[in-house]
Amino acid sequence: MLYSEMIKKKVTILNSSGLHARPSAALVKLAGQFKSDFYIHMYGYRVNGKSILGVMTLAAEQGAELVFEVNGSDEKEALNAILELVENKFGMEDE
Amino acid sequence: MPFSSQPPIPIKEKISVSYMVKKLRDRVHINLICCAAEDCSEHRYVREADLHRPGLALAGYVKLFTYQRIQVIGNTETQFLDNLPKEQQIQALKNITQFEIPVIFLTDGNTFPDYLLEIVNEAGIPVYSTPYETTRFMFLLRDFLDDQFALQTMVHGAMVDVYGIGILIVGKSGIGKSEVALDLVERGHRLVADDVVMLTKKSSVLMASATEMSKHFMEIRGLGIIDVMSMFGIRSVRYQKRLEVVMELTLWDDTHDVNRTGLDHDSVNLLDLEIPQIKLPITPGKNITVIAEVIAMNHLLKHYGYDPAEAFQERIKATISEKAKGTGSSFTRAIEYFEGDIE
Repeated sequence: MLYSEMIKKKVTILNSSGLHARPSAALVKLAGQFKSDFYIHMYGYRVNGKSILGVMTLAAEQGAELVFEVNGSDEKEALNAILELVENKFGMEDE
Repeated sequence: MPFSSQPPIPIKEKISVSYMVKKLRDRVHINLICCAAEDCSEHRYVREADLHRPGLALAGYVKLFTYQRIQVIGNTETQFLDNLPKEQQIQALKNITQFEIPVIFLTDGNTFPDYLLEIVNEAGIPVYSTPYETTRFMFLLRDFLDDQFALQTMVHGAMVDVYGIGILIVGKSGIGKSEVALDLVERGHRLVADDVVMLTKKSSVLMASATEMSKHFMEIRGLGIIDVMSMFGIRSVRYQKRLEVVMELTLWDDTHDVNRTGLDHDSVNLLDLEIPQIKLPITPGKNITVIAEVIAMNHLLKHYGYDPAEAFQERIKATISEKAKGTGSSFTRAIEYFEGDIE
């Protein structure tokens, strides 16, 4: 599976309580709807963005900077959808 | 390879001397007595795992002197210094203290006389003395540093100890890695990590562990997060396990090149080590858990010197050569004479 391109995008977490279980679940669920591979880079590590334990392990706090990496046939749609979710604070009321 | 393309990173770039000494005392149980400049040990850093014995540098040859390494002064160096007149001893030590040395260890219970301690104190280089013999101490220290500066990477998969063999189950999201791991745990095997597996390279071995955060939690689709240790007890988990076999689950498609004999050995490169890999296409009715157990037992058999694929191959070759001589036949019954159903 070789795709000519791969998109990387820097993202900041906006939720006041960070990327805890529910936001992680929302993120993983959304990413899982796309064919593209989705990875999150933080502290030099790269975790699979479709794995809820992986995403929660990051314990990303408010203001944390992550890099999203999307790679696959529907990478543009996937990234846009994911970015929208992050901007909407994962569809969650601020606790 | 979907799971191994992440660049490795060292666990630590540097450790402070005070941290190292504390760990050596607590974890490696080395008796270390501080002789000089203890207050500087927090600001002195060790950045590499290599050690150096500064014999030549003490004698005055400081070209290529690897001063950034930990300096170990054993019996040879101590006796060399002892046999010099006082002024020359001071000069010899100044040859090395002019550099930014992180720390000096004196082995075999040796110490410096007060006038030499004064010099290292002035230079702000911490000095520790240990009763351990030089080579033994260097071995222990080297092993500790190797662990501190080891390369590490994170992979997506499930790590299980099956009959003592560390199997890493990898494959695309949602293919059922966690379910296989859970099934294995249920059959009495031990979970090391699910979803987020940390691999650390220790000499020529890859050690796998979970992260502090995800330790022994698992996600089962449709159910959510479960805690394997509370559910199945202490016997169902392990903190660390050497990685020995990678089992990759793939969706079945006819174009797939599947290993049918076991004569060819596939492997995957992780942190520059070749780890045996088995690609397992999933088909309906296939019990992956049992296959994982078989993989472990087969690995054990091979480890103890019996390779079934090779053995079978030998048998075929023997029969073919016998047939060529005109003495054998391929369809000989497995038993020579039926005595009745009384085996």
